[in-house]
Amino acid sequence: MSSRGLLLTRRRATGRVISVWLIAMLVALVATIQIRSEAEVQRSLVGIDTTSLAFLIDDLHRANDTLLAEAADLQQRQTTLRSGSAGAADQVLIDEADHLRMVEGLVPVHGPGVVIVIDATGLKALDLQDALNNLAAGGAEAMAVNDRRVLTGRPVEQASGGAAIAGVVVSSPWTITTIGDANRLAEVASLMTKQLRADRRVRQATYRVEGDVAIQSVVSVRPFVYAIPS
Amino acid sequence: MVAVAAVALATGFLVAGQVKAQLLTPSNQVARYQALVHSVQDLEATNAESRRQIAALRAQIDSLETEAAGRSAATRALRNQAGDLRAHAGLTAVHGPGIEVDLANGVPGPDTTGQGRYLVNYQDVQDIVNLLFAQGAEAVAVSGRRITPLTAYSGSAGQVIIDQGPPLSSPIKVRAIGDRNRMLAAIDDSSALPDIRARQVQFQLHVTFFGIPDIALPAYDSSLRIPHVNKT
Repeated sequence: MSSRGLLLTRRRATGRVISVWLIAMLVALVATIQIRSEAEVQRSLVGIDTTSLAFLIDDLHRANDTLLAEAADLQQRQTTLRSGSAGAADQVLIDEADHLRMVEGLVPVHGPGVVIVIDATGLKALDLQDALNNLAAGGAEAMAVNDRRVLTGRPVEQASGGAAIAGVVVSSPWTITTIGDANRLAEVASLMTKQLRADRRVRQATYRVEGDVAIQSVVSVRPFVYAIPS
Repeated sequence: MVAVAAVALATGFLVAGQVKAQLLTPSNQVARYQALVHSVQDLEATNAESRRQIAALRAQIDSLETEAAGRSAATRALRNQAGDLRAHAGLTAVHGPGIEVDLANGVPGPDTTGQGRYLVNYQDVQDIVNLLFAQGAEAVAVSGRRITPLTAYSGSAGQVIIDQGPPLSSPIKVRAIGDRNRMLAAIDDSSALPDIRARQVQFQLHVTFFGIPDIALPAYDSSLRIPHVNKT
């Protein structure tokens, strides 16, 4: 074979090898993309679905609005204190103390809200705890059950006589008084009473929206024994 | 050469078919999902920044009030009163003896409820915090989020949201200051936390607890606004 023929044969052979390699690489690329794509779908969808993500986004929007409002309140308080006028600090401290007394349930309060009445036999402390938590998550800013003030630090427990709030039994029917954004609370109350009415243990579950709900019951301060402010 | 061309052609069809039939669908799913995830991440970043700002503002206000209290005995008395109320509302960092309860997801298993019961959920956290308060806990924090008189729990699919967030997920650490022996005995009681104990057996949900001589809990860094509530 002439040297020119040999060169042509080598070129053809090299061309075939390159073609085969290219095809192999293409197949490998497609396979890799496919496998990674599937893996990404699987990995990203583990744990939380898109509906839950949408709810989470809604919750975070509302939470961030509340945080912005809190920051604005604090900036206002800071500006007042920086004004340096004689009574400014005193007024800021009095206002804050009044606010915290309401937060901690130390004083009677009133405002717009919703009153829910649940008449049932056999509902447990956990049922009451869930109902109260749903209302708190739905915007309740102050609550009482059968004129017994409810706060997160006041435990709802199962006692021999039924559900108890901070050691005192609250017998059925439960009248849950809430103060907060009446529209939001009405939505929660509507859903809650609808679900409760489907429960065989529940004889009656109703709610009413009121322009001014009063909560007269208060709690007393329990001094710290173990906790030391840092 | 003809064979190579045929293989290349077949590969081309295969690639085109693959792209059209399968790759696009999952890619779109991923894109939609990722857009939602990015929204959550952006909102969480805003949330964290707002909470940092709130903590900083409260520290600055405290400093300004301290200055004012140095100038007047009446202001000093008011500041002490407000300080005590802040501590009870969870607005002050505290430390003292207490316990830690660690909760972590279990293992997926047969579950007719379809509720992901192997995952830690907000009711678990609520039950534990409620139990600790019933045993005299004076201050509680969940994975660094201080519990206040207005705290509400929510969440889904293994996520726990406390008040204004951010979402917490397993492992969750509940820390409480109070009588260690009393709180440990209550958690150790086999009749307490029946749902969690059942899922410990069924899904190997992890629950551990131990006493700590001195726990530090941070101050609450979110909102205690109650715009609809008025003093009577």
